[in-house]
Amino acid sequence: MEPLAPHEKIFVDSEFLEDENHGQIACVDCHGGNPDDPDWKTAHNGVVKDPTYPDAEKACGECHDEITENYKTSLHVSLRPYKLIMDQRATANSVVYNKLGCAMEKNCSSCHSSCGQCHISRPESVEGGFLEGHLFTGKPPMQEVCTACHGSRVQKEYFGDNEGVQPDVHKAKYMKCDKCHSGEEMHGDGKEYDHRYAVENGPKCIDCHDEIYDKNAENVITHRIHKDKATCQVCHSQGYKNCSSCHVADDEHGNSFYKTKRSWLDFKIGLNPLKSEKRPEKFAVLRHVPIDKESFEFYVKNGLDNFDKLPTWKFATPHNIVRKTKQNASCNSCHGNKDLFLLEKDVEASEKAANKGVIVPDSMIPRNQKWQPK
Amino acid sequence: MKRLWTIAVSVVFFVIFVVGSPIVTNASEESECFKCHSSAKKLIDATREIAKTKSTVKSAQSEGEG
Repeated sequence: MEPLAPHEKIFVDSEFLEDENHGQIACVDCHGGNPDDPDWKTAHNGVVKDPTYPDAEKACGECHDEITENYKTSLHVSLRPYKLIMDQRATANSVVYNKLGCAMEKNCSSCHSSCGQCHISRPESVEGGFLEGHLFTGKPPMQEVCTACHGSRVQKEYFGDNEGVQPDVHKAKYMKCDKCHSGEEMHGDGKEYDHRYAVENGPKCIDCHDEIYDKNAENVITHRIHKDKATCQVCHSQGYKNCSSCHVADDEHGNSFYKTKRSWLDFKIGLNPLKSEKRPEKFAVLRHVPIDKESFEFYVKNGLDNFDKLPTWKFATPHNIVRKTKQNASCNSCHGNKDLFLLEKDVEASEKAANKGVIVPDSMIPRNQKWQPK
Repeated sequence: MKRLWTIAVSVVFFVIFVVGSPIVTNASEESECFKCHSSAKKLIDATREIAKTKSTVKSAQSEGEG
């Protein structure tokens, strides 16, 4: 996505005044500043660029009270799972921990959203700029908002931009993000979730594909056999992007930057790290995330002393679902096919301890099948 | 007394329905904000001026996919 020119980012369309709701609110009421000052430089003293972050109550709460009430629990705003995950990996030393917190704040916390950064402008993490001259958009445009941030993985997977990988079948049906990820999910429901996969109103394949276990459904036997044994993605997703060894630091001007050592396309089935009553499957697709034991070394030594507490191969739901995949072409495309599974040899020596719970032992790889469903 | 009441009611009526609510103003009435932010030329001039003085906040050293 091309960034906007600086003046385009802040150009207000006169049509905005025709918005009978928002167009009637004085600029100063949300953004502050001094509209009576004829000098534009001093008139902008005290201006708040995004009055909806971190608290949307003042700007949006009067009319959208229910949404703003839950707003702070939206994972796009709170980034709670990131913080919890880092807390688990972080050192117990409070001095070192505080330094780690500062490093995270500087490098990771800017990747958030807000009411304004979905419905009025592009997110700040992709350099912002009004979507349509400050007009309010009910449904955020997919490519300027959703995949502007979720680009490396979701966008490339969904649009089929990874070499040799088909686009998601839902893309081919012209479905946009909001078809599965509802406004209710995005806005938060008032509950503090530890993980994005714990969000109760998050999408589930079965919400739409509820007929797959019906007696007369196509492939019913296969679906019934694998129910609660493998997540949908194990059979229906394709190769996806994995990253490793992200390091953050400051350049000579004090501006932060990141470098990831490598990224690669892969497909690995591992033991489900989120196994629970709600997610009982034994096998899940796993993606290598870019965290490294020394990701924050520039700022603080040994910040991630408890690195091995969580796997670096994490539960994943690649957005490149298709009906027929290499691994579901026949039973034995998967059963007995060691290449598909995350084995000890696939994990770097320094990460073996972290991933011991998700590596598939040889004895657990499903055996070749003589019987094939008709 | 009745005359005073009539005048008071008339003033309130005039303020609310003829002049408009004193509480509600809109973006266009803040002429300086809107005049500038709806003029591409003014914004180009202003943003060029800002660019001369503003140091970059984004490092060019970021590499790889995150």
